[in-house]
Amino acid sequence: MKLDKLRSALRKRFGDGVEAREDRGSIVLEGQLPSWEARLEAGSRAVGAGSRGVVNDIVADDCAWAASERLDSPRDPGRDEGEKGLEGLSFDVAVIGGGVVGCAVARELAKWRVSTILLEKEEDVAFHASSRNDGMIHDGFAARPGSLKAKFNILGNRLWEALAWELGIEFRRPGSIVLFRNAATQALYPAFAARAAMNHVDGWEYWSPRRVRAEEPNVCDGQHGAFFLPSAGVISPYRATVALAESAVMNGVRVELGTCVKGFEKEGDRIARVRTDRGDFRASVVVNAAGNWADVVASFADDRFFSLHQRRGTDMILDSQAGGLQRHIMAMPSIMQAKSTTKGGGLVTTVEGNILVGPTATELPGRESYATSTSELRTLERHFRINRRLLPSMAITYFAGVRACTWEEDFIIERSRRVANLVHAAGIQSPGLASAPAIAEEVARISLDVLCATMKVSPNASFVAVRDAPLELRRLSLEERAKAVSRNPSYGRIVCRCEEVSEGEIRDAMKSPLPVRSLDAVKRRARPGMGRCHGGFCTPRVMEIVADELGIGIDEVTKKGPGSRIAVGMTKSGLGEGFRG
Amino acid sequence: MAETRRFVCIVCPRGCALEVDVDVDVAGEGKAVLALRGNACARGEVYGRSEIVDPRRSLTSTVRVANGKRRRLPVRSTGTIPLPRLREAARALDGIVVEGPLACGTVIAVDFLGLGVDIVATDQLERGM
Amino acid sequence: MVDRKEYDVLVIGGGPAGLAAALSASGTGARVGLIEREECLGGILKQCVHDGFGLVRFGQMLSGPEYARRFIDLVEGSDIAVHLETFVHAARRLASAGGGYVLECVSRDEGVFEAYAPALVLATGCRERSDRQVFIHGDRPAGVLTAGLAQHLVNIEGVLPGRRAVILGSGDIGLIMARRLTLEGMEVEGVYELKAEPSGLSRNLQQCLSDFGIPLHLLMTVVEIHGKRRVEAVTAARVDLRGSVIAGSERLVECDTLVLSVGLIPENELALSLGLGLDPSTKGPKVDQGGGAGEGIFVCGNALHVNDLVDYVSESGEAAGRDAAGHALSIGAAGGTAAPGRRVAVKAGPGFLYAVPQFIDLSRPGPAVIYFRVNSTLREGARVSLSAAGETLLGKRYPALRPPEMERLEIDPGRVPEGCDSLWLELERKEADLG
Repeated sequence: MKLDKLRSALRKRFGDGVEAREDRGSIVLEGQLPSWEARLEAGSRAVGAGSRGVVNDIVADDCAWAASERLDSPRDPGRDEGEKGLEGLSFDVAVIGGGVVGCAVARELAKWRVSTILLEKEEDVAFHASSRNDGMIHDGFAARPGSLKAKFNILGNRLWEALAWELGIEFRRPGSIVLFRNAATQALYPAFAARAAMNHVDGWEYWSPRRVRAEEPNVCDGQHGAFFLPSAGVISPYRATVALAESAVMNGVRVELGTCVKGFEKEGDRIARVRTDRGDFRASVVVNAAGNWADVVASFADDRFFSLHQRRGTDMILDSQAGGLQRHIMAMPSIMQAKSTTKGGGLVTTVEGNILVGPTATELPGRESYATSTSELRTLERHFRINRRLLPSMAITYFAGVRACTWEEDFIIERSRRVANLVHAAGIQSPGLASAPAIAEEVARISLDVLCATMKVSPNASFVAVRDAPLELRRLSLEERAKAVSRNPSYGRIVCRCEEVSEGEIRDAMKSPLPVRSLDAVKRRARPGMGRCHGGFCTPRVMEIVADELGIGIDEVTKKGPGSRIAVGMTKSGLGEGFRG
Repeated sequence: MAETRRFVCIVCPRGCALEVDVDVDVAGEGKAVLALRGNACARGEVYGRSEIVDPRRSLTSTVRVANGKRRRLPVRSTGTIPLPRLREAARALDGIVVEGPLACGTVIAVDFLGLGVDIVATDQLERGM
Repeated sequence: MVDRKEYDVLVIGGGPAGLAAALSASGTGARVGLIEREECLGGILKQCVHDGFGLVRFGQMLSGPEYARRFIDLVEGSDIAVHLETFVHAARRLASAGGGYVLECVSRDEGVFEAYAPALVLATGCRERSDRQVFIHGDRPAGVLTAGLAQHLVNIEGVLPGRRAVILGSGDIGLIMARRLTLEGMEVEGVYELKAEPSGLSRNLQQCLSDFGIPLHLLMTVVEIHGKRRVEAVTAARVDLRGSVIAGSERLVECDTLVLSVGLIPENELALSLGLGLDPSTKGPKVDQGGGAGEGIFVCGNALHVNDLVDYVSESGEAAGRDAAGHALSIGAAGGTAAPGRRVAVKAGPGFLYAVPQFIDLSRPGPAVIYFRVNSTLREGARVSLSAAGETLLGKRYPALRPPEMERLEIDPGRVPEGCDSLWLELERKEADLG
């Protein structure tokens, strides 16, 4: 018995602190362990012991607080209670989560004559993992052959180019150079090729050291050639997500921001109603695309057959001045990394023309903990060896994201086996962005299958695939730009000097189909404040425009929604007096 | 009882380190300056002496604009204000609202709070909308 | 084709350096175009409502707007063509004889146009370093802002960025903001400085901190920010003399605002795009005494190196404007070429952070000003001398020297001996500062 074996292994390793039991095919771990690391080890050991997923409910003494994130709905960030605009409504499909997967699913559903609502608890889409990654559209080489990751990555990679065109966002395929650091790694070329073939990767080549040098003159000395993957692409992950959501809205999907799911009301084996902090409504199908909260949403339906653990990744952004020092994505993995589940990171050339260094991969608790640390940055420093001309001092900023990982380290994309009208898109970690279009097609197909049992579903003949891309003035020719400015002088007023963003572009972003309510939301669309000064100059100007468009006071403008005002009031109003009180 | 106080002269960016011998009373209040050292100019002498018996500062701040593109107009006091009353004076500026047009240097409050100084605009203000 | 405006001198930046450069160039009879990104002239002075400006130049304590107004009034009374709310998208050098520069400009009122001049003055100022650039970790909530941004919010917009602030860095803007925030109703918990000495002027420590009982914590820094949506606290820690955090010294400081005054960086994106190299110690281009960086480009003010007083910014702007006009007019007279004069290098010896300019053009008339900064405090003062090939050309005694305070020396280029190719700036300490 696999379970007995697991139990004795756990007892041997951890004593009596941990218990393992089987629950409807899943292995449930319970008990108490001294450290987060021990909890992780127990979780990994349990993989494969049951027919379904691992649910790790062990409490780690050094991170006991993390247990509170286990089953609770995410904490309310101080929202205005009482508004119940969704009460009593009814939808064919409710998609939970406004990340890239949820938004892509919503847009996919918009191609059919079904009523869809997308719920996002934050004040904007792409608030979490979908704006906190390196934007890489992976080639599919790194995924474990036979995994869902491998399957959806390849399919998604093929879909992105056309999808990006429809959405009016930039997509590039710089290709990925995986450098061989020594003869031993060079000897792995046949194994690399075999794996790429198994995963159906679109094209790969061996590049000699000379070819690598010719393609990337700044590459480090002493490289032994490279495995080149031409299909690797890049995209702006938050722009992609916003564009998907806008396209969905334009085609009839109702997107409700600032709306948190609190639970489900079930009737038999079905979800009858979705309970939210803005009222309860009926839904015929529910799609769980809740990212780092997907296991919590599953538990609302009594279908928590898996649990998530969080792996933080930190990326460093280099000044755009350094952008010209490299054309391709480059990485130089060690043999150890070549075998592990994470890809080890590298240097990614973004669509905006920056180079991104990262990401790291560190197991840390906290579904939304984005703190960075010195040790994380230090692990990124090794990537600077790949390109002789890149220096850590070129960094203008860095950020962290959190991957939502199942213990099996694979995606879960399926119709629930216990709840007839629930579809899971869970455990979507890297390469989730690359896979999103393919995941969306699959999830939409499953959802429509469920719907078909109770209603007639027909294609939406009025679906408009192409979204008008917002103008980006700095990318126009002088003549085109002159025409645009003469049409609308606010395109001539540059607000963000580093990224060269005009007032007109910010106003356009705020008039888009999706409500835009904060500085970060503006930043995700038009990029003011993304450059080297980090908003030091443009913040007040953007605040003024946001306040004007929203019809609010400048002191009411927030950085990222409720609870995050930039200013707390007017000067001389005695605000600081009695701070402690 | 005599004691030596050390502080930085704020008259100019040079920031001379002043040393002042002071006759103090039992409560520690300065009564009279006995000697002053460290100043590079005569203004430092004046500043150092007044700092002991009656420390004063000029006030710079902003006031509200009622009808313009600009929200605030920068202002200053024409002379110095007793340091202990600086916060109170800054706070009291909240009661002043100006309208354009205004020239730089225009007096916008006479004998502010009875402190013997005026408040003047330190920039011009265009006509309101 | 877009419209092209032609000038003798184009000045980019309408702050104190650009205003002075435009005026001095215009004063020589050159046709000057002044390009300013914002809606009015004055640059950062607009938001510096505190006083202390102009003591060197005007013998008066002016506020920032007053100091700027003196120049703006002159510009408005001149025939300088001012292009407001105009942004330089790109700059390129013409390859044809005589060279010169074309700027691609985007403007709210004038649309998209090109501007040409044989001489270009870069008066682009500087920007502030941000929290990430000094490696403060933790969350990224609202309530983290640079001192300059805090200054803009308070002085221009009239809004208060929070209720209780921690200030990191004792640079002058940080100190000034400690006072401004206090007077506007915020509580300033303290100022933390990584180094063993404050970075700002002594008088600002007195009138911005001591006056209000705000503590200055030397050899301390902020290592982490807490709070998901708005700052709730920061972790402060002690550091050793090399700036490394002393383990176990961390403490949590409750606040809702973190203001950063952790250094300024000259803005030289345009200079870089035109192929100018930067001096690693100043982070600005290498120039002669008129800000000449070669090929008709002149750089001045804080784009060259970060100055402590605006008076010196104006001085360097004037020199750059004059030389830029001279270059433009001599090109006109010489039919396309301006002969470069003989240059000697200015080198800063041990004990200095840097010296500017990096070269002196011996063909220029009038005294050349050399600005310098020392790298450690010399309380007892020191003698600074300038020598060439072992011969001391001039020496000057300073009663005290501190790294935040810039000093200057004037040299007559005519006194530089024949055949020498570099001048050395040397520091003679008094005994008390040795060891």
